[in-house]
Amino acid sequence: MPLHLTVNDEDRVSMRDPLTPLVDVLRDEFFLTGAKVVCREGFCGACTVWVNGRSVASCLLPVGLAADCKIHTVESLSTGGNLSPLQKAFEDHDAVQCGMCFPGMLMTLTSFLEREPRATREEIKAALVGNVCRCTGYERIVDAAFSLVSAE
Amino acid sequence: MNSLHVATSVADAIAALADRGDAGAPLAGATWIMRAPIRKEPHYRSYVALAKIEELQQVELLDDRLSIGACVTHAQLAAVIAPLPEFHALAAAAGSSANPAIRQMATIGGNLCAAGFAAADLVPALICLAAQVELAMPGESMRVSIGTFLTMRTNLPPGCLVRRVMVPRTTCRSDHVRLTLRKAGDYPVVIVSLAAELSPAGVVKSARVAIGSVEAVARRWEKLERLLIGHPLDPGDVTEKAALCAEEMQGREGVEAPGWYRIKVLPSLVGRAARNIQGQC
Repeated sequence: MPLHLTVNDEDRVSMRDPLTPLVDVLRDEFFLTGAKVVCREGFCGACTVWVNGRSVASCLLPVGLAADCKIHTVESLSTGGNLSPLQKAFEDHDAVQCGMCFPGMLMTLTSFLEREPRATREEIKAALVGNVCRCTGYERIVDAAFSLVSAE
Repeated sequence: MNSLHVATSVADAIAALADRGDAGAPLAGATWIMRAPIRKEPHYRSYVALAKIEELQQVELLDDRLSIGACVTHAQLAAVIAPLPEFHALAAAAGSSANPAIRQMATIGGNLCAAGFAAADLVPALICLAAQVELAMPGESMRVSIGTFLTMRTNLPPGCLVRRVMVPRTTCRSDHVRLTLRKAGDYPVVIVSLAAELSPAGVVKSARVAIGSVEAVARRWEKLERLLIGHPLDPGDVTEKAALCAEEMQGREGVEAPGWYRIKVLPSLVGRAARNIQGQC
């Protein structure tokens, strides 16, 4: 049975098993490889996408439950070739290293900062507890996010 | 290929589940079921999704109780009841479980029905608040205490689903504390949920202590409750009493912590919950 999804404002159809993790459909069928498959347990956050505006772990969301939902991936953040403010801050703070975690970090932090534009450093760290990074030690990522708060 | 029926009403879900019999199961937030392959457990051939049933996504504050639909997520629950001090333990549990992305997906009904998940945060919180579970099935519904539900949840008949959870409104103060091996974003190795009704002088009139993650299934700690009644809720005293009773616990072995460790740290967490409740006074 075809599953209709709206991904990054485009209508898409998947014929996959409805229990297929959404991240596999995004990557293998729609070639949106920004969301990463790492733990498949909802612990690492590398597969974070937005479903109807909420940040979720796409490794644990069956594509059948995402049908008729609005899905946004990290590929949707930049517009017209321009980085989003948080993407720019990541670049400015040299926050990106191996590249596995930061798409999920961007999705988590972008929606968090929209809700909490005056967040403290501690609140930013708390928002990131579900996003694991093995390279940076987190501080530059937090610095980048906090720079947007400070600039408000 | 698995089949997924997306139910549009409770009646639709009950009929679909009854029709599928033992080959089908309800699917709520899916965070537990999607990890079945990691646990080397087979999926059911057919699932009935409950996530689009509006009735199951409602939280209602009534005169005598809080009514929580089975598909209310942890994040939704935490946000709705955060301003209500009478449900503090439940708000703390819903707001601290797993990590923010999982809290957006995992539901209260799923937390209750995941029988193999010993570290479910909402379960001890609901036990300490004396919650009841409403089950819907073909032609009838029934309401059971959460303790009874935990004993029957692996043997629910086909067509039976959790419709809502009801938490009575009381004058108890409550708290929920958890020990994780990472500072946050991890599943706890010990959970303590404590609710106590205190006299104006601070003496415990009634108490419910619930322990999660220590044993395979969360439960009340009635022996400790009896020792607390009639005494001030002094954290040091509570810790000592918990240590005296701890030998009755059967610590659960796990890759994250051995059973003895869970029992060893348990009294300190009970004392911490008592201190936090004192801080609410």
